[in-house]
Amino acid sequence: MSSAVDRAAPARAEERRWVWLALPAVLFLGALFAWPVLRLLAQAVEGGTLEHLEKAVLDELYVEVLVESLEIALWVTLLCLALAYPVALWMLRAGPWGRALALFMLLLPFWTSVLVRTYAWMVILGRNGIVNRSLLEWGVITTPLPLLHNLTGVLIGMVHVLLPYMVFPIYAALLRMDPDLPRAAEGLGAPPWRVFQRVVLPLSLPGVFAGCALVFVLALGFFITPALLGGGRIIMISMLIEQQVREFLDWPFAAALSVVLLVVTLGAYWGLQRLTGGNRLAAG
Amino acid sequence: MLRRRQLLAAAATLPAPALAQGAAPRPAQIVVNASGGAMEQLFRRSYFAEFERRHGIRVVATSPVDFGKLRAMVESRNVEWTVTELGGQDFMRAKELNLLEPLDFSIIDLSRYPAAVRDTHIFPSSVYSTVMAYRSDVFPTGQHPVGWAQFWDVRRFPGPRSLRNHPVDNLEFALLADGVPMDRIYPIDMDRAFRKLEDIKPHITVWWTTGAQPAQLLVDREVVLASGWNGRFFDIARRGAPVAVEWTGGSLKQNAYGIPRGARNAVWGQHFLQIMTMPELQAVYATELAYPGLHPDTPNHVSAEVRPHLPTSPGNIEKQYWIGVEWWTQNGARAQERWNRFMLRRS
Repeated sequence: MSSAVDRAAPARAEERRWVWLALPAVLFLGALFAWPVLRLLAQAVEGGTLEHLEKAVLDELYVEVLVESLEIALWVTLLCLALAYPVALWMLRAGPWGRALALFMLLLPFWTSVLVRTYAWMVILGRNGIVNRSLLEWGVITTPLPLLHNLTGVLIGMVHVLLPYMVFPIYAALLRMDPDLPRAAEGLGAPPWRVFQRVVLPLSLPGVFAGCALVFVLALGFFITPALLGGGRIIMISMLIEQQVREFLDWPFAAALSVVLLVVTLGAYWGLQRLTGGNRLAAG
Repeated sequence: MLRRRQLLAAAATLPAPALAQGAAPRPAQIVVNASGGAMEQLFRRSYFAEFERRHGIRVVATSPVDFGKLRAMVESRNVEWTVTELGGQDFMRAKELNLLEPLDFSIIDLSRYPAAVRDTHIFPSSVYSTVMAYRSDVFPTGQHPVGWAQFWDVRRFPGPRSLRNHPVDNLEFALLADGVPMDRIYPIDMDRAFRKLEDIKPHITVWWTTGAQPAQLLVDREVVLASGWNGRFFDIARRGAPVAVEWTGGSLKQNAYGIPRGARNAVWGQHFLQIMTMPELQAVYATELAYPGLHPDTPNHVSAEVRPHLPTSPGNIEKQYWIGVEWWTQNGARAQERWNRFMLRRS
């Protein structure tokens, strides 16, 4: 225990010595991120009134939309995790060609606009879309499945956009794992399931949490995809903020809603960090 | 003296706009601010060309339409635009905030325009309508739903439907469906409208967000009935989609132009707006986009095939009502909040 502390102390001193290297980035973020956010906070209480914030946290409409946005973000995060983990594991085992192919396929959607991808999903998932027409033709179903203009469509579209943000942190964490560790466990007679559960999974957790945090936070701010794939039935908080800004020019109230969203997001991030203990997220 | 008398005599033989020309100094150019894009090219071909030909003043086009910029220009007394388009429902606010010059009716002749769009400051440039469109292979024309009461009648006209994800138009359509006559829509009884909307809600598979959506939904057979802007349906029908429009209960709206207060050469702005009232030129625009200007003669200047697709053609315009811009300017935010609650309730 004490030796670990001894080793940590000089490392921290070393860190401090190089901290000025971060100065340009800090100034950049300060001027272009922190300052505007503070201005936003100020606008929410413009005129010294808490009326806007009060409405944002007490009116059932906005509370309900916020809760629904959180639920959707959570679902998207869990679905991404379920899909991404096997992909990351496979990438670790795959040869160089397989890995290159996987990377290519993951990055390809990144180079396409979200709007285009969303319209593509409308073509695929519609009542007369590719999926439904094929299933009907094969006799699997007799009436088209409701895949679009509801929660299902929104989840599919959002998971598609956000999946890379989950795969890469997990893959990075797995890559950092000493390959001798699972081998040693195998050598000691652990069955594959056991090796995964006791060795691979715990070592990949920082990546898992980093991926979850990224996807959750990004999902909370979505609005084009849910507006188009949700058929109007899915309302996310960012859609209401946009409405206030663009249509009603009620910027103080838009600011109040943004503040609530910011606080909830930071709270979720903090909770996740507490849950995983300390700096794992940052390490991921 | 003689010379002056000669000039006056010559002037008397010229048409009225030319007479007014004599009073104002002639600038090298005027600036018309509008949406740009395909619209600008049509404007160049019609209104700009005619103005340049007639007055010998070049027209410079700028874009986009920006309410904040208009306000800043007027307030800083540095107005670059001679004439500007006014987006969506901003025109009411522009007038309320005193950002516009009054229209000079000795130059601009709106005497034959519908009374609903004549205003002291706001120039009605063209009209569009939110109408009902249907798949003509599902409901053959003649057996299709006519009016919003029949749009609501899911037993007689079964199939998925689409309406806009916005209270504008939908509150009016609900009242019409509930039996309110067209001239009694305003002020809108929101309780009654939302009650009626609850009936149709389960049958609306898509609440559309962008103007292109309803046309696409009909083409894809995602829905068989939809509300939408007439120009979009005109466009797909012209390209062969089995989609037709029913004008009954359509919601007419105007696009608006104005002269910013303190504009240099404001007089020439008035002359430009007068050019925009010419039915022959309005017809050029209407033929391409099905958004006609409001001169009652405009439909006579478009081809017989296009005429039935214009919201202002005789036979169409009587079936529709003019949207109550004033009501929406005053109640828009309240209606939207109620709309959000309505959308959120699962039913």
